[in-house]
Amino acid sequence: MINREWPMYRVVLENHQLLPLLPRFDLKMGFGELSVDEVCRSHGVNTDFFLEIANAYLDELYVPGEGLSLFSLSTMVSYIKSTHKYYIDIALPMVEEKINRLMSHSALSKKEINLVTTFFNDYKKDFMAHLSQEEENILPYVLELERQSALNEPEPEFIQKLRNYSIREFEKEHERLEISLKHLYELIIKYLPPFEDLQLCHQVLNDLAALMKDLVDHADVEDKVLIPRVADLEVLVLSRTSPV
Amino acid sequence: MRKATFILHIDSYIIRLGIVSILNRIQGMHVLKEFKANESFISFLEKHPVDYIIIDQAGFDRLVDLYILKPELLELTILLKNSSLEDSNEGVPQGDIPTTLYLTDEKEIIVQTLQNLLHHQDDSPIKNSSEDLSPRETTIVRLVSMGLTNRQIAEKLFLSAHTVMTHRKNINSKLGIKSVSGLTIFAIVNNIITIEEVSSLP
Repeated sequence: MINREWPMYRVVLENHQLLPLLPRFDLKMGFGELSVDEVCRSHGVNTDFFLEIANAYLDELYVPGEGLSLFSLSTMVSYIKSTHKYYIDIALPMVEEKINRLMSHSALSKKEINLVTTFFNDYKKDFMAHLSQEEENILPYVLELERQSALNEPEPEFIQKLRNYSIREFEKEHERLEISLKHLYELIIKYLPPFEDLQLCHQVLNDLAALMKDLVDHADVEDKVLIPRVADLEVLVLSRTSPV
Repeated sequence: MRKATFILHIDSYIIRLGIVSILNRIQGMHVLKEFKANESFISFLEKHPVDYIIIDQAGFDRLVDLYILKPELLELTILLKNSSLEDSNEGVPQGDIPTTLYLTDEKEIIVQTLQNLLHHQDDSPIKNSSEDLSPRETTIVRLVSMGLTNRQIAEKLFLSAHTVMTHRKNINSKLGIKSVSGLTIFAIVNNIITIEEVSSLP
């Protein structure tokens, strides 16, 4: 478990898996001897929230739960948004560029190359659609719910909306984005002919594996923390209003 | 494939090691953590969902307060006892424990008891496995992977276009895959179609 007093450089030195988390919190390197707490503070990041996410990230067995319920929904929403940004700006383009390079230097048939590149393009489209559905509908709804819950009397229009909608509906259709990547991984190691450029091939597989793990963790944060908390808050807000 | 996760709470090193080694030989069984003391056991349980707890009688007796507080844990508990002759202590609600293992049990009985646990596991709807598809849906996934349009599939299978659309929608929601290319790769890795067949398409 990472501790707030530890020097940040040591934390990252010993846990390279944390690298993808840094841009999400907008933590710039060049940590010097600053502690985790000092680095977080100087970047305007809630240290406890960072620790909770980082420890969850490192512990394979950890399922985010009670620890995260200490933080406001808006803190979680902004973390979810920056994670999305990390996927779109860094993780996806990085693996895409490598896949394209791997394909263009391979002995694969045109048809096989086409299969992979089309697959990744379509995957990217679905991925973007998934994220923008969350950013345009779900996350604003969560923020609005939190705002309304803080009011003495929630606004009638919002109550009306709440009577007809629950975050549980979103939960039902919340798709797992890592699964198609797993298929691609399996395709490469099992079905496609071997690649000449082993180094690049391993990089692609490593990137895919890291992204899959990241997506699983991220979906856990949404499904096991965000949605239950939002659902509880929906009930609470509704219970404070008189029935029609 | 069914899976079950275990945590062990057993004082004796030899017995603990023995149980781990038995579990490791059964496919789908996974030991998350071993404990001999109580403190970290409780905090581990709070953060990590497990399917089963294997606990010895001494540990169970020490943790009786926890079990009274959280009776739902009894359903996950497998009590490890010295022999079937040993009688339960009073005050401990052992009647609610569905499974007991005895150190004196023969190998077959122990393995059978553990394997039965896997069958009790709910078949939770894990998305994206080809087993979830009906034979008809599998056929349609295959035809989609061969590049056929919905209309062509309808003609080939003597179905209405509307029926094919319904199948496609069900496939999408079962697998969480929308695109033709996604379905094609799914079909390859699930042996619904071979990569050679896909590659040889015009």
